[in-house]
Amino acid sequence: MIAVKKYFWAGWLVTSTLAAAPVDYLRDVKPILTRHCVLCHGAEDPEAGFRADTAQSLREGGDSGISPVALTPGQESVLIQVVRGEHEEIRRMPFKKPPLDDAQIAILQAWVAAGAPAPAAEEPGKYIHWAFVPPGRVAPPAVKRADWPRNSIDHFILARLEQEQITPSPEANPSALLRRVSLDLTGLPPTGAEIDAFRQDRSPGAYERAVERLLASPHFGERWARPWLDAARYADSNGYSIDAPRQIWKYRDWVVAALNRDLPFDQFVIEQLAGDMLPTPTIDQKVATGFNRNTQLNGEGGIDTEQFRVESVLDRTNTFGTAFLGLTVGCAQCHDHKFDPIKQREYYQLSAFFNNSVDDGHGKATPGGLLEFPDERPTAESRERDLAEMRAELTRYLDGRGMAVMKWVQALAAEERAKLKPELRETIDVTWDQKTFAQKRAAYGAYKSDDPEFRSRDKELAQLERGEAKPPSTLVMAELPAPRDSFLFINGDFTRHGDKVAPATPAILPPLKAEKPNRLDLARWVVDPANPLTARVAINRIWQQYFGRGLVETENDFGSQGSLPTHPELLDWLATELIAQHWSMKALHRMIVLSATYRQSSLARPDLELSDPTNKLLARQSRLRLDAEIVRDVALTASGLLAGKLGGPPVFPPQPDGVMTLGQIRREWRASTGEDRYRRGLYTHLWRATPHPAFAVFDAPDGYSACTRRLRSNTPLQALTLLNDQQFVEFAAALAHRVQKEAPGELPAQIDFAFRLCLSREPQPTERQRLVELFQQQFSAAKGDATARREEAWLTVARVFLNLDETITRE
Amino acid sequence: MNPYPLTPAERLSQITRRHFLSRCTMGLGGIALASMDKRGAAAAAGPLANPLSPKPPMFAPRAKNIIYLFMCGGPSQLELFDYKPRLVDLNGQPIPESYIAGKRFAFMDTSHGTKLLGTRRKFAQYGQSGAWVSELFPYTAKIVDDITIVNSCAATLFNHAPAKLFMNTGSGQFGRPAMGSWINYGLGSECQDLPGFVVLQSGPRGPRGGAVNWGSGFLPTTYQGVPFRGGAEPILDLATPTGITAERQRQTIDAIRDLNVQHAVETGDDEINTRISAYEMASRMQTSAPELTDLTHESEATLKLYGVERETPSFGRNCLLARRLVERGVRFVQLYHTSWDSHGGPGENLQGDFEKTCREVDQAQAALIQDLKARGLLKDTLVVWGGEFGRTPMGESRDTTGRNHHVDAFTMWFAGGGVKAGAVLGKTDELGFNPIEDRFHVHDIHATMLHLLGMDHTKLTFRFQGRDFRLTDVHGEVLTKLLA
Repeated sequence: MIAVKKYFWAGWLVTSTLAAAPVDYLRDVKPILTRHCVLCHGAEDPEAGFRADTAQSLREGGDSGISPVALTPGQESVLIQVVRGEHEEIRRMPFKKPPLDDAQIAILQAWVAAGAPAPAAEEPGKYIHWAFVPPGRVAPPAVKRADWPRNSIDHFILARLEQEQITPSPEANPSALLRRVSLDLTGLPPTGAEIDAFRQDRSPGAYERAVERLLASPHFGERWARPWLDAARYADSNGYSIDAPRQIWKYRDWVVAALNRDLPFDQFVIEQLAGDMLPTPTIDQKVATGFNRNTQLNGEGGIDTEQFRVESVLDRTNTFGTAFLGLTVGCAQCHDHKFDPIKQREYYQLSAFFNNSVDDGHGKATPGGLLEFPDERPTAESRERDLAEMRAELTRYLDGRGMAVMKWVQALAAEERAKLKPELRETIDVTWDQKTFAQKRAAYGAYKSDDPEFRSRDKELAQLERGEAKPPSTLVMAELPAPRDSFLFINGDFTRHGDKVAPATPAILPPLKAEKPNRLDLARWVVDPANPLTARVAINRIWQQYFGRGLVETENDFGSQGSLPTHPELLDWLATELIAQHWSMKALHRMIVLSATYRQSSLARPDLELSDPTNKLLARQSRLRLDAEIVRDVALTASGLLAGKLGGPPVFPPQPDGVMTLGQIRREWRASTGEDRYRRGLYTHLWRATPHPAFAVFDAPDGYSACTRRLRSNTPLQALTLLNDQQFVEFAAALAHRVQKEAPGELPAQIDFAFRLCLSREPQPTERQRLVELFQQQFSAAKGDATARREEAWLTVARVFLNLDETITRE
Repeated sequence: MNPYPLTPAERLSQITRRHFLSRCTMGLGGIALASMDKRGAAAAAGPLANPLSPKPPMFAPRAKNIIYLFMCGGPSQLELFDYKPRLVDLNGQPIPESYIAGKRFAFMDTSHGTKLLGTRRKFAQYGQSGAWVSELFPYTAKIVDDITIVNSCAATLFNHAPAKLFMNTGSGQFGRPAMGSWINYGLGSECQDLPGFVVLQSGPRGPRGGAVNWGSGFLPTTYQGVPFRGGAEPILDLATPTGITAERQRQTIDAIRDLNVQHAVETGDDEINTRISAYEMASRMQTSAPELTDLTHESEATLKLYGVERETPSFGRNCLLARRLVERGVRFVQLYHTSWDSHGGPGENLQGDFEKTCREVDQAQAALIQDLKARGLLKDTLVVWGGEFGRTPMGESRDTTGRNHHVDAFTMWFAGGGVKAGAVLGKTDELGFNPIEDRFHVHDIHATMLHLLGMDHTKLTFRFQGRDFRLTDVHGEVLTKLLA
């Protein structure tokens, strides 16, 4: 037992040192010392006369004369003993603070073992966190197995594996590879014809041709828009407690189109942050600024609107930090950032860039904040929805005032009564609860015709009722003619103004060279190649979609509390490559999916279980459960129901009754009909307060704040959704139907056909046999004629297919 | 003729083990064998290897479960528990400026009143503890010796949605986990047939803010609250699709399991084992959840105690369901009842409207305590009662009387699971405006709840965006006076 334990310990140590590249003093060691030791062991009055602010002072030791990093055979160094709490005389360090974690101790240990190397002429206690140093570009390293790499990525990955004497995995089989790359690039599994074409294409470059086809597909933009929209906290409602619907889907469509035409990433960022401020901006460039309008709007009564306007400004600041810089700038809202070099003052200087837009906190129409498309006609269905929504809104408004109306009615003098329109007079005494909507509306109109809120709602509704449809619109950014004053908020409290601040970027990053900089200057600054973070953060987010984890695991924190890159040189190489490729995202996608690293099999390997259990070194691919929307898209594709239409207003696929009653306001969910019932998950109307349960259950974000990585939970509620949800049963029925129609013949051949539709592969004999058994079992238990029994048996088999772990997994 | 004599989990574990054994014998040596042992152990854990399996607390707990009775809208403590005769004397007088200088209130731009409003309700002292309770809570008055009333509770935010979020998550920002999520994250669930965090709702509408109040925020969604709905299908998609028999459903799940097992063997991916377990639990939930909500076997006496009928949805029925949930080991049950938002306008005055809401909860909440006690469940179950804030000592000048939102002092009560029985804690000033003793802020309430469950609130953390988050943020003190 003890022996086993020791093995674990040894194995574990190997693993933890494996996680990062060989230890580098400035990058790896100094941050630990600075954060955990230098407060007491710094230049001023160091405890025990011992300083830890440079490697040299550490080597020298303190009053005791013993060097903490000296190596004695058969014994750990004093430094390691002390941080582990194993020293006989010295208390565990950091004193009265939480102990260092195992990975940190392993870094120190590796550094000490290497003889505590460090550059000469070191500045005491100061270090620059790696992410703030501009990416360097080293040549892809040489490798022993020269036939393995397919491109530069593989050199970096393989060099590291060879260093640890780990062999990469073989290439995934062609079926698995085609399904993987199709799901990764378009979010859709390959069709039967695509599978056949790929298998029959024996000439060199078959895979490359498939990749080009997928990159050119309009579905590429649909698939890759989703993670970007997560970061942009996109939703189709206003959030907070009222959560009224909003129109901003034109922004979603802009993202899809921009990705499809491979708009260079720098331009992609500039247009979203400040498209409205470009010289003579196009409509499209204005639509792009919806990025910053995905903030919540609070329609609750009695609120302080300034509070919620400020919330929007701070949310934009935090989202800016998370989405582009990969920094938790929000930590500096109340105080100087505890770990990263961002002062509270700098936070408010950054937020000042976003403090001049026209929108308020209440969601009232603001001039310039809404872009209308008068030439576009909404569909009859969306007009119906608008009508229903507006009536419900007005009803809520009137019901809150019903008692006052009835009081007024009771007090009406006979001559006043006589002046009312006859149809109103006849019903005016009906109790409020008994009144129809039209009667309530008429009664209120007579009682208080000068109420501006009522008049505007009434007029808008009347227009809609007359058939004057509201044109589609989208929320955009627009600047006030004169900038607002911006202040630091003491403890983050917007009622407590500190110093006045002007727009500026954090000092740790390259300076923004502009007089009186504005939002456009900020946008240009963030994509300036000199910015050390933007390209790294962007490429890391793309990488994590393909491998389940970024090269920097903490994709939203490149600061000092974040994790170190597993392959720092590769991260930097890719970041510089993105810039060298004129910020073409498709070029990077292409390079990743063509790499040998990407093409590896995802099968677990017993040897890696111990040497690299979390697969940080990428000696294999990973099995990744599909994103919520793609779980739907795969079922739609397999069943043949998918409507391929791109873009447009959000749609309302069926969902279980009662979901909409969970919010404060009970809203209606009228299921779409026709092709809108079978659109891709991307187009489902996203209510922040009551998201569609089939998406929420698979970890789709709710649009409240920037989400840069989704969790991949695995729960019984997901099982209930796939087993019992009305839509999934509908998909299964369609799949059953399709198989019988398109693959008439023997049962085993039909099962093979269904395997191709759902899993893009042939079954193993045992798999086929199990389903044949199931079919026969169901067929003999069913009632009715042979056709009916076959239908019923196939429905069960189809449900099994849509519930398989493999169906909802990218292998 | 059963080809599989073992349970699915055992079979899976055997197959997985055998498979890895065969791989590992291909010359991988001792270390690999150690690895295989680990792997075998994980597979053998089978259905238990899920994030909701019970985890030991940090120290000996006083309570195992929590039933949280959330009174949405902010009930007026001045009409219910915090008796202020002086306020009655000063009725109609302006509030001294010293009380309100620098304070912000909701609706401050409209009709926020500054004149004091004495309660019109009759108060009396009850039980051994001599606790003051108003005439509006006759049933609750009878259980005062089983509960501790705290009159000095305090919150931070004064609009409903953010305040409710604050009471649930310790923050007014969206995206933080609710306390029920934190607790399941910390302790897992004793019940493998039902979710560990269940939400029940009653009253005219849903609570403000809706589902974010029981969201898991940055914690895995496994820990989020599952709202049970009234009626036969308490969980979304719980019922087997129309036209499909239970047997056919079972056969479907069996086939899914067999194919998943085979694929787990081929890929060696543990995640598939978790999915197999998830399907087994889903299948158990299909039986256990309808069984839970079926009150056929509850006696007439029990129904009478709660004042409910078997089928009609109500707060009382939810209280009875809450007892049934903790009986089955569900860790955190939260009941929401709307609405206590007594501003004084139509439908929200302190006259008839308030009386009606009081009647809706009084009998059932008292019955819950009595029933839990009679069944020996109260000692392990902490019951918490309260809103997101209280009401001002000033009255609002609308058609009928009402009070504005007040975060500085309000009343909550606690019972069971390690809490004193029959005590009144915390004093407020003579107007009931500020606590003058034992201020018990939301963060302190959270700290105390976690403490009763055997967890140190400073140590229950989750790393997100580079920071270790806690339910209590950087605040919170355990209110030791509350502990038995």
